[in-house]
Amino acid sequence: MILLLLFLVPLAAAVISALARTRRVMEIANLAAFGIAFAAALAVAGQVAAGGPVSLWGGFLYADALSALVALLTASVAVVCSVYAVGFLREDERSGAFEDDKDAGLSQFRKYYTLTPVFVSAMLLVVLANNLGVMWVAIEATTLASVFLVTFYGKVTSLEAAWKYAIIGGVGLSMALFATVLAYYSAHNLPGSDTLAGLNWSVLAAQAGQLDKTTMRLAFILALLGYGTKAGLAPMHTWKPDAYSEAPVPSAALLSSAMLNCALYGLVRYYVLAGRCLGADFPGGLLLLFGMLSMGISVPFVLVQKNFRRLLAYHTIDHAGIMATALGIGGKLGAFALMLHMTYHTVAKSLLFLCAGNVCQQFKTDLFDKVKGGVIRIMPVTGTVFLMAMLAIVGMPPFPLFQSEFLILRAAFGSGHYLATALFVLFGTGIFAGALLHVGGLVLGSGGEQPAVPLHPWRDLSMLAMAAILVIIGFWLPVPLLDLIRGAARVVTGG
Amino acid sequence: MDFLYNPEFGERLVTLMAAMVLVLQIAMVGQRGLAMNIRLFGAQSFLLGAIAAAIAWYNHAPHIYVAAGMTVLVKAILVPVLLEKLVKRIGIQHEIAPIVNVPLSIVISGGLTLVAYVVAESFYHPEAHAASLGHNTLAVAVSLFLIGFFMMINRRKALTQVVALLTLENGVFLAAICLTYGMPLIVELGVFFDVLVAVLVLGILVYRIRESFDSMDVSKLRRLRG
Repeated sequence: MILLLLFLVPLAAAVISALARTRRVMEIANLAAFGIAFAAALAVAGQVAAGGPVSLWGGFLYADALSALVALLTASVAVVCSVYAVGFLREDERSGAFEDDKDAGLSQFRKYYTLTPVFVSAMLLVVLANNLGVMWVAIEATTLASVFLVTFYGKVTSLEAAWKYAIIGGVGLSMALFATVLAYYSAHNLPGSDTLAGLNWSVLAAQAGQLDKTTMRLAFILALLGYGTKAGLAPMHTWKPDAYSEAPVPSAALLSSAMLNCALYGLVRYYVLAGRCLGADFPGGLLLLFGMLSMGISVPFVLVQKNFRRLLAYHTIDHAGIMATALGIGGKLGAFALMLHMTYHTVAKSLLFLCAGNVCQQFKTDLFDKVKGGVIRIMPVTGTVFLMAMLAIVGMPPFPLFQSEFLILRAAFGSGHYLATALFVLFGTGIFAGALLHVGGLVLGSGGEQPAVPLHPWRDLSMLAMAAILVIIGFWLPVPLLDLIRGAARVVTGG
Repeated sequence: MDFLYNPEFGERLVTLMAAMVLVLQIAMVGQRGLAMNIRLFGAQSFLLGAIAAAIAWYNHAPHIYVAAGMTVLVKAILVPVLLEKLVKRIGIQHEIAPIVNVPLSIVISGGLTLVAYVVAESFYHPEAHAASLGHNTLAVAVSLFLIGFFMMINRRKALTQVVALLTLENGVFLAAICLTYGMPLIVELGVFFDVLVAVLVLGILVYRIRESFDSMDVSKLRRLRG
């Protein structure tokens, strides 16, 4: 039952917000729904930790440790972003950011507070659906629900971004649909394959050794291209910087952390099937290729970037590449490092977007030139957190991402991928230099003659809460969470 | 009336209809008018529905009738009507303006069909799955997919890209029908729902792009770079 609650509660909030007549009702509905969803995700994680995979309706909804981990990450980002959004959208309304749009005001709030819960609910369904077809439907639904979040401000550039997002995502997902058909076909000579359960991941994974090999090979390639598009792996990444820089900041935070996880989750599911059917070398090699390409492509764009939201987007492409690389390296260590990195990246990247949102709202621009530095003097709290989160995400010790990236390197070196190791270090250094140079200048640089501005309670406190989580899990990862991460890694490696 | 119960006739009928689907796809590549493209897409979807119904009849698989009915309802009626309405509302009957000229596009489509046959050959095992349909149908499905891709790249106008995306999806549907007699029903319904919502979403976007840019030429969407 708890599985049902997890994705239906946000949906209920969407219905309430669509019908509500005041902003307050929508805010309360969203906050309450994401709060409940977070509690439900915790409960699911607890159940999975205690007694193994949970399922409902004869295995239609199914949660193992991997689903529980991704659901928990999604729900925690969603709850923090929903608090942040209250402050962010009120500030937008106060400062007249909606005026571009003809039907400003309440309808803007309604758009945000209706689409966001639908978006989150679809993401939660992605991880709970056992059936690969239903998973596809849910991933497509995440795209459709978020297109109009990208066009939120109704600017000409937002339309362009949304068009790219919808069309590139649509093509990618049609490939993923083909992959789903082929995965279904690959089991065609096994008994019971023509029922609804024949497309269940848990069923396919259990008999992966007997699946048709040629079909599975093609299915994995298409799934990699399809869900890779959704994860923003290069060369299918071009929609990403546009969508992230045009969407309102809380939506961009969800897109860059939670939705990235969902797309990678789809990839992991296919990786497990292909790995058990064909051996880990074939899917692993392809993942390494795309992972390295994504890391490599993002370096020059990070180095010369003029816009800090686009900087974060390219940085997300880099991290999608890092995670694809970790999965490609595979093995016990690679899988564990992937799950650890996913957890840390989710927290750090959504935090960065929230900081960028504060800066953006204060200075009414997202260009480095126009802010001219000195954020730390005008917004002491945001500036400090921004710099800290940036240090964390480029992998500075003692922050946790150092730990996970180091583990990935160790796994790569240990398994004999020397070229990948060398490139990883090279690209990592490029990103490190670019990101720190730009954000360091933004936060610490000269300028900032205006007096410091006071805190915005909703916006800044939610950001601080996320920062606190980042620091805490960096130094002390709670044992249940660590167990969950280990469990998720075991889903990948089997046994 | 024996032919109604003769599976061999059924297979020929399906192959014939699949060939017509492919012809329509190539006609879409060759046609320059937008309205004509939408109608060709409608006709293609209708034929797909007919193929699904024929397979359901000759293989006694009643659950495919639902997929057949949904295809005709959603893709042959609702989607073309919605798109035509949008074309009227935007008030232009412009031409498709491909990047590669029409004769060359058709030659490329022919080449892609050849590639599709090679691909389909590689994973079609008649001995393993007695009831599966001839690899002709699968090859047509893969061709639709590849030519759909080519159309996406080759077209500049927003609405024509939407039509190309829909033919891609038609290819996947045909592959699902001929490889596995369609997906489980609930998945199939979910896919139809997504297609319908996607057309609505893309339609609204096209309308708004047209309003703000005064053009649907997506090659003019070039403000966001780097």
